[in-house]
Amino acid sequence: MTEPVPEAGSTSAGPEVSRRGLLKYVLLGFSALATAAGVLTPVIAYIWPPARAAAEAGGRVAVATTADLPVGQGAVFSVQNKPVIVINTEQGVRALSAVCTHLGCIVFWNPERQVIACPCHEAYFSINGAVISGPPPAPLEVYRVQVEGDEIVVEGGES
Amino acid sequence: MEAAHKRSWSTRVGDWFDERFNVRGPLQTFLSKPVPKHAIRWYFCLGGLTFTLFVIQGVTGILLSLYYKPTPEEAYDSILFIMNNVRFGWLMRSIHSWSATLMIAMCVAHMLRVYITGSFKKPRELNWVAGVILLLLTLAFGFTGYLLPWDQKALWGSTVGSEILGIVPWIGDALLGLLRGSPDITGLTITRFYGIHMLVLPVLTFIFLAIHFVIIRRQGISGPL
Repeated sequence: MTEPVPEAGSTSAGPEVSRRGLLKYVLLGFSALATAAGVLTPVIAYIWPPARAAAEAGGRVAVATTADLPVGQGAVFSVQNKPVIVINTEQGVRALSAVCTHLGCIVFWNPERQVIACPCHEAYFSINGAVISGPPPAPLEVYRVQVEGDEIVVEGGES
Repeated sequence: MEAAHKRSWSTRVGDWFDERFNVRGPLQTFLSKPVPKHAIRWYFCLGGLTFTLFVIQGVTGILLSLYYKPTPEEAYDSILFIMNNVRFGWLMRSIHSWSATLMIAMCVAHMLRVYITGSFKKPRELNWVAGVILLLLTLAFGFTGYLLPWDQKALWGSTVGSEILGIVPWIGDALLGLLRGSPDITGLTITRFYGIHMLVLPVLTFIFLAIHFVIIRRQGISGPL
């Protein structure tokens, strides 16, 4: 209805939509929109990823114990829905983002060579996250990690 | 105002397609078919209700398949996950379950109406046959879907239901094995029923629905009593 509507009282052309017609369109349109919203809302909510178990308060996550992860071992854990590689080294426990800075594959701990390796393009990182070889353009991000008793606790935000 | 501007946007969209594909004429012939007066009764809606329920089953079934896991270890847990953790999961699964029951009820009610009004008689015999096949497909949907929650009711219901096939003379055991995929109901039966439920039966149902609908449009619905 973008065209100029004739003045009220003008009988030459008459309004394009009658009062009854407008009422019909408004009511039908409202019904159609309400029905679509009533059906689509649950469907979209349903396909939206369901919430995972909430992280510990303060963003601190106890991922493992030193018994699970003895010196020389490393593993990937989910910390606030992000993969984090935790390694128990002779210089202490380290935690780094497990997302390779090249194309985003998840890195793993190579216990024989004592390096972090990426399975996709043969990249290697040191236990501090520095690139040893391969295509990654940047080092892995380091997470703050503490050993409390025998529990390894990773802090959510990168340090 | 120019004439071109007087046409509504829907007319203009229609014209755009008509200029290219020349479909308006055939489409109007196909779509504009007034329902005869004697058929404007609630009991002539039962077939349409069955089809509506089938569409609902399709939509909710696709949604359930996003979270359901067809393995003996995970099937029941994935159902619990849908019911407890997925937003509106309880709603989608309950709609799927209730519509399944209602769909069979509507099939039978539609069949009764066709029987009582004598609509199966010549020249409509083959559409009755197509309808009976659709009823059997609907029952097969119900039977294969019944196992998938993998709870006690599902396991023993499917055990008893499939045992019936085993009493066929001579080839009963072979048929039973073919249905179950293993001597007992196992994980192989879940994947088998899941594949039949989600892929085989929908394709067959679409084919027979198309036949059912084309015949009714070709012949028109039967006359008044």
